[in-house]
Amino acid sequence: MASTKNSIRSATRRWSWLFLGPVVAAFIIGFVWPFFQGIYLSFCRFKLISDAQLTGLDNYGQALADISFQHSFWYTALTAVVSLVLINVLAFMVAYVLTQNIKGSNLFRTVFFMPNLIGGIVLGYIWSMIFDGILAAYNTSILLNTTYGFWGLIILMCWQQVGYMMIIYIAGLQAVPEDMLEAAKIDGATKWQTLFKVTIPNVMPSITICMFLSLTNGFKLFDQNLALTGGLPYIIQPDGSTVNTTEMLALNIYNTFYTAGAGVRGVAQAKAVIFFILVAGLGLAQLAYTRRREVQQ
Amino acid sequence: MSTNLSRRAFLGTTGLMAATLAACNNGGEGGGEGGGSSAAAGSVYWLNFKPELDETLQALAGTYTESTGVPVKVVTAASGTYNQTLIAEMDKSEAPTLFVIGNAAGVKEWGDHALDLKGSAIESELSTDAYNLYDEAGKLVSMGYCYECYGIVANTDLIEKAGHSVDDIKDFASLKTVVEDIHARAAELGFDAFVATDMDDSSNWRVTGHLANLEYYYEARDAGGWTECPAELKGTYMENYKNLYDLMINNSIVEPTALATGGHDPANQFTSGQAAFFLTGSWDYTGISAAQPNVKMLPYYCGVAGEEKAGLNCGTENCWAVNANASEENQKATMDFMVWLVSDPDASAKLVEQLGIMPYKNSAPSTNGFLNDAASYTDMGCYVLDWVTTYQPNVDQYRAALVSALNAYNADQSDANWEKVRTAFVDGWATQYKAANA
Amino acid sequence: MMNKEQTLAAEQRRKTILSAVLAVICVIYVLPVVAVVINSFKQNTFVKTETFALPTEQSYAGFDNFITGMTFGNYPFASSVLYSTVITILSTALILIFCSMAAWYIARVSSKFCKIIYYLCVFSMVVPFQMVMFTLSKTADALKLNTPWTIPIVYLGFGAGLAIFMFVGFVKSIPLEIEEAAAIDGCGPVRTFFSVVLPMLKPTLISVGILEIMWVWNDYLLPVLVLDINQYRTIPIHIQYLKGSYGTVDLGATMALILLSIIPVIAFYLAAQKHIIKGVAAGAVKG
Repeated sequence: MASTKNSIRSATRRWSWLFLGPVVAAFIIGFVWPFFQGIYLSFCRFKLISDAQLTGLDNYGQALADISFQHSFWYTALTAVVSLVLINVLAFMVAYVLTQNIKGSNLFRTVFFMPNLIGGIVLGYIWSMIFDGILAAYNTSILLNTTYGFWGLIILMCWQQVGYMMIIYIAGLQAVPEDMLEAAKIDGATKWQTLFKVTIPNVMPSITICMFLSLTNGFKLFDQNLALTGGLPYIIQPDGSTVNTTEMLALNIYNTFYTAGAGVRGVAQAKAVIFFILVAGLGLAQLAYTRRREVQQ
Repeated sequence: MSTNLSRRAFLGTTGLMAATLAACNNGGEGGGEGGGSSAAAGSVYWLNFKPELDETLQALAGTYTESTGVPVKVVTAASGTYNQTLIAEMDKSEAPTLFVIGNAAGVKEWGDHALDLKGSAIESELSTDAYNLYDEAGKLVSMGYCYECYGIVANTDLIEKAGHSVDDIKDFASLKTVVEDIHARAAELGFDAFVATDMDDSSNWRVTGHLANLEYYYEARDAGGWTECPAELKGTYMENYKNLYDLMINNSIVEPTALATGGHDPANQFTSGQAAFFLTGSWDYTGISAAQPNVKMLPYYCGVAGEEKAGLNCGTENCWAVNANASEENQKATMDFMVWLVSDPDASAKLVEQLGIMPYKNSAPSTNGFLNDAASYTDMGCYVLDWVTTYQPNVDQYRAALVSALNAYNADQSDANWEKVRTAFVDGWATQYKAANA
Repeated sequence: MMNKEQTLAAEQRRKTILSAVLAVICVIYVLPVVAVVINSFKQNTFVKTETFALPTEQSYAGFDNFITGMTFGNYPFASSVLYSTVITILSTALILIFCSMAAWYIARVSSKFCKIIYYLCVFSMVVPFQMVMFTLSKTADALKLNTPWTIPIVYLGFGAGLAIFMFVGFVKSIPLEIEEAAAIDGCGPVRTFFSVVLPMLKPTLISVGILEIMWVWNDYLLPVLVLDINQYRTIPIHIQYLKGSYGTVDLGATMALILLSIIPVIAFYLAAQKHIIKGVAAGAVKG
């Protein structure tokens, strides 16, 4: 048997150019090379890539000292955490109700999931029309007030992501062993006791996945942010520079790259690396967690 | 300085000589057109940067070659790629003989490659030198072949209906009187003074780009004119910017608080006769005149001393430069072709149809009312407000900050909020200049 | 007995109430889409002033918005639909074919090189696009990957991570014996993969395919940075650029275009709902 296995393996290896070649080539173009070049450029001062000059940690110093970047970090963190809580609470509630065998649950599920398929730019447009339709009656606009901008984005994110998380929770809830629920019932546990003592502990894996997902989604949010408020309103600093009050990290990096002038592209790339470390940290924590859970099972 | 002068003199002479030679040649051939001999005398290669002009130019090139035998090649760079195409083409042995240097940055980069057009036959065709670009030594690097203008478009019919005359508007005070009177009686008249000054991306350039030009222009004039982007602004004329801005937002169909997200379609408000005043430019003439035949473009009257003599904001980035490194025959052929374009009745009519107006004595008259307004202000001896908005550093970010500050001001017109507008306008310039030139 | 019947009835009532509450929430949930539909039939200026009112005789625009929308923003909408479709189909096809092949190879050969690629793929999944956007767009431009027909290569490269990760996970769960039997029957690796392995991968192919379609179709930043946008605009790019269109923005036409752009998405969703929900759940749990 072992010999067949080895002969198959060596036969397969002869075809490595076909099986691996295209993906490896594209992967180098689309990820590996840009990634390492990006790391390198974050230590450089450059207008064009060809005249990049190493300047050590200058860019990182400037990036961290940039108050608009600091602001966008805290704004992003706040958005991510608030949306995480709201999305997951709402999604869990909906999923819980939908698994109670009620009439029309398929239809409800279909409707709740639908917004997830609409792209971020279009979502931003739709909601900016709606918020302005409402706020116009009060002589204001989502572009004039940071608080409206913040909650507007949260509502948009909930609308988009509740359905998605709901699907994962439904899968988790359906996997809760029926006999455990029966046993709780026989023991005379109330609905609430069953929910907190039996159901929730059993869907903990789904909860963790959803929390990680909504957290990284929140941190990486770009399209919706761009289309809904684009960072408006700004605080005008005494030197004429601005802090864009509803600008999240991804948009801040984008603006540093493409509207702040070619002189600060190195700083933008340094911001991007810091952003990468943040997001990758969250992602790796999630992977590590899922791994550990798989081992435990 | 002396070397510069002598070089200018020298180039000037060659230019003249070329013109003389051209005259001789024509005489010598006795009007015998279309001969093979003139084809050997040179050829034209025009690197065009306006894609929408391509079709007309190809047709004109064909006509010219047919009647004179001089080969004319027109290559149009794809939209947004003119600069890189120019870099690539100028290195080739068959480089363009005619190309575009449209602004001060272009003069800096390409001025050395341009022939001094001073004293040339084509220069003598010009009706104004307002659209010429010179380098620091005073060389005539390029000359405009068309221009556009912007200002305050006024609906003369509506103004008359309100019991005023557009001819009475001669400065800011008289403009203000008319505007405020119309706005006060808007309900009775059935129309208002200004359209909505929308602040969304589709419209905010009217105030962050166009209207801002008045501040830059007067400041530049005080400084003796700008030849490159200044590192900072003084903000001397912010009051004047505010005058006109306040007049627009407070005498409009739409409340200032509703302007932030836009969507009021100001162009439609104007063409449908809901308002009498609208900030726009000559490119809107066809659409506007189809709906409102009696319109006039007024200068930015904003309370500056001597503004009775103000004209419209005129400018262009369409300026011809002749390649200094081309062979003499090709330079001559190119300049003959240029003269033909601006003086031949058919050719210039076709170009004017596309370009709006050409600042040359013998070119076809313009059918664009706004450009004719611009020309008649110039004829009356008024000064042109040059386009200096084009110097805005890091334009997207600079304007975005200004929009945000103006939004806050629209919602609450306090002095503190106007200070923020001033900060974005004046200090923002210096900050963005530093960022752009870091 | 009586008691039990009572609790059953109470239970029934509770469920009916829940259904009713959910039905109300559902109606609220679809309101944004309804608002788009309503406003796409209104004349431009009424979108702003009467956002939530039904079209009246005065504001009703018929299909005008859809007609003007076709050329609105100085770009034909039909072209952006075409480019979005081409890019989505080509990218998804490339990813499905090449990533499943690579994943099978990685799972079966598992050499050191394979492991490096696999871990790089896993790593790429946690890298946000902003990290590589500048350098990637320059690289893609230099390699002329800036057209709808070549940009799928960029998608293959940047999207390989998740696809390979999911495929490897599935291939590992397929028993080797089947492939060994095929080899003994004289099948080479290529035939084994295409006639034996690929059919078994079908559920994962569908899941990955749906995730990729949803990603590529809605993606804005990658195409806007990579494509030559003077010539090629996808639907999200077109819609974003309407906002900045010089002169006037026609909100009625914008709403009409938004409606046209979400109709295919909703149709696709209703047609393939089961697969989509399964694919999404699979992607989420793995990723």
